[in-house]
Amino acid sequence: MLGTLRLALAGVWRAKLRSALTVLGILIGIAAVVVVTALTTGARQVVGNQIESLGSNLLFIFSQPTARSGARVAALGLTEDDALAIRREASAVSKVTVYSDVRVQVVSEIANDSIQVVGADASYFSVRGFSVEGGRMWTASEGLVKAKVCLIGQTAIRKLFGGVDPIGRFVRVGKHPFRVIGTLKSKGDSPFEDQDDRIIMPIGSWRSRVRPTSGRRVQLIMAKSKSSGHTAQAVRQIDGILRQRHRIDDGEEADFRVRTQEGFKKRQDAVFGALTALLLSVAAVSLFVGGVGVMNIMLVSVAERTREIGIRMAIGARKLDIQLQFLAEAVVLTLLGGGLGILAALGLATVLSQATGWEMPLSGTAVGIAVTTSLLVGFVFGFLPARRAANLDPIEALRHE
Amino acid sequence: MDGGGALIQLAGVCKDYKSGPEIVHALIDVDLTVGAGEFVAIVGASGSGKSTLMNILGCLDRPTAGVFTLGGVGVGDRSGDARAMVRNRLIGFVFQGFNLLARTTALENVELPLLYRGVSRKERRRRAIEALCEVGLQDRLGHTPTQLSGGQQQRVAIARALVTRPPLLLADEPTGNLDTRTSYEVLALLQTLVRDQGITVMLVTHEPDVAACAHRVITVRDGRITDDSHNSQPVQARAQLAAALTV
Repeated sequence: MLGTLRLALAGVWRAKLRSALTVLGILIGIAAVVVVTALTTGARQVVGNQIESLGSNLLFIFSQPTARSGARVAALGLTEDDALAIRREASAVSKVTVYSDVRVQVVSEIANDSIQVVGADASYFSVRGFSVEGGRMWTASEGLVKAKVCLIGQTAIRKLFGGVDPIGRFVRVGKHPFRVIGTLKSKGDSPFEDQDDRIIMPIGSWRSRVRPTSGRRVQLIMAKSKSSGHTAQAVRQIDGILRQRHRIDDGEEADFRVRTQEGFKKRQDAVFGALTALLLSVAAVSLFVGGVGVMNIMLVSVAERTREIGIRMAIGARKLDIQLQFLAEAVVLTLLGGGLGILAALGLATVLSQATGWEMPLSGTAVGIAVTTSLLVGFVFGFLPARRAANLDPIEALRHE
Repeated sequence: MDGGGALIQLAGVCKDYKSGPEIVHALIDVDLTVGAGEFVAIVGASGSGKSTLMNILGCLDRPTAGVFTLGGVGVGDRSGDARAMVRNRLIGFVFQGFNLLARTTALENVELPLLYRGVSRKERRRRAIEALCEVGLQDRLGHTPTQLSGGQQQRVAIARALVTRPPLLLADEPTGNLDTRTSYEVLALLQTLVRDQGITVMLVTHEPDVAACAHRVITVRDGRITDDSHNSQPVQARAQLAAALTV
C-alpha cells in the first residue's frame, strides 16, 4: 500500500509540469465548490440574522386592496381598533402594535435629509426589539395628546446632527417641529431597510401632523405570537377577527394579508437553495472538466509508459499491481488538487469576506465534501486509464518503442 | 525442484497466431526437456519461432496446445495473474535492450521484483545490494541507466533477474547491443552463475560465438527443433576476455 503510494508520487513527480497543470484543473473545481458553499452559507447567515433582527415570532398584517366593487363602502384598511380587537380576542397573540411610516425630508438646525418617519405605539419597541439608549420614551399622556416628541435612530443622528447630542433639540417634519426626547439603540439592517435611519413618534402625532389620515387608520399591524408553536393558531385567530370586523365572509377575498416571520425565512431559504444549486452545478461542471483532464493525462501517461508496464509485468507485476499503480497516480493528482483547492478557497473566502463584510465559515462539511469529491474524481477518471494499463499484453508492451 | 531432474518440460507444444485471415504456426509440436543447471543456447534465423519459444518458456504467452511444466508444475494453461506469479518466483529475464526503468536507480531497478513479491523494504534493499555486488556493481547503486554503460546496464538487468533467486534465467539476445569485450563479460557472468549457483540459463542468440559458450545448443527452424546438440567443450568466456585484453 505504502509502496504503491510512493510509486504513484514518483510518477507524478517525474512529469512535474504536466502534473501541475492537471492538478490546476482539479484545484479550480474544488475551490469553486468550497467557495460557493462558504459564500452561500455566509449569505444565508447574513439574511437569516436580518430576519432574526426583526424580532421573533412576528406576524405582519398588511392591508390589501381588493378587486371587489359594489354597494358596500370601500374597505377601510387597517385601524388602531383592529389592533385593539386582536389584542383583546386573539389568545395565541402576546403583543400587538400598530405602525405607519413615510420617508420625508426632516430638517434639523444643521442638516436636511430624507429620513424614515415612523408612527407607532409603545408596544412597537418590545415587539420589534427596539430599545431606548439615551433620554426617555414618550409617556402615555404624550401619546394621547399627540405631543410633538420623537426618538431618533443612530443613522438619523449621524445624518441630522453629526456628532452633536440630539436630546432636547428639535427636528422639523413638514411645518411641525418635534422635540427629540430619546435615542434608539442601533439595530442594523433588516431585509428591507437600515433600521437605524428613522425617527419614531406616537402614532397619533404621526397621523395628525406628518401624514394627516382619516379615522384611526394605520399601514401595518404587527403581532407577536406567544411562542413559535402558537404562530399558526395566531394567524387563524387574526384572520377570523379581522374578517368579522371587516365583514368579509369565509372564502371571500380579504382586504388584508397575514404574513409570518417563518414565511419570510422559508422564502429566503428557497431563494438561497436555488442559488446554491445553480452555483454548485457550475462548480460541478468545472470539476468534471478537471476530471476529464486527469483522465486525458493518465491515458497519455499509460501510452508513454507502455514499455515500463511491460517490464513490470515481465518481472511479476499482476494486473492489480499495475491497475493500482495508475489509479493511485490519478488519486494523488486529484487529492493534491483537492488539498490545494481548499487552500485556494480559504484565501478567496478571506478576501471575499473582507470585501462583503460577511462571515464565510469554511465548514468542516465543505472540506469533507471537497476531499471526498477529489478522491471520487480520481477513482472515476483514473479507472479507465488504469484498466487499460492493466490489460496490456506483456509481450506487446515489451516490444513497444 | 528435484536436484538434477527436469526443470523444463515441453511436450507437443504448439503456438498458432492469427495474422489476418491466415493462421501462422509459430511452433509446431515442440518437445524439449531441460535439466537444472544447464546452460542452453537457442539459435535460429529470425522468424524461426525462437522468440515465440522464449515467450512461452517465460510464461509471457500460453501455448495453443501441448503441456509446459516448469519445476514439475504445469504452467502452460495458467491465467494471467498466476503466470505473473510464476514469472516473479521462478524466472529471471534479461533482454537485449536491457529494459531497465528509466530515471530509476540501479538499486531501485533491482528491488522491483521483490516489491511485487511483498518483501519488506529493508529486506528488499539488502537483497538488491547483494545481487548488485554479485554482478560487480557495488559502487554503482545510485546510478540511473543513462549514467551506466551498456555492459553495466546489462549487469544491472542480470542482478534484477537474480534477486529473486529463480531456478531459471531467460536471456533474449543479451549481448545483441554490446561490443565483443562486454559481451564476453556478460557471458562470463552467466557461466559463473550456472557453475556456482546451479541456475539454468536459456539464452537466445543468432551469434555462433555466443552459442559456443553454452553446454547445449538447440536450433529452431520453421517452428520446429531441428537440432539439439551437446557441447562438451564450451568456450570459457573468461578466457576469451583475458585473451581479448592481452591483444
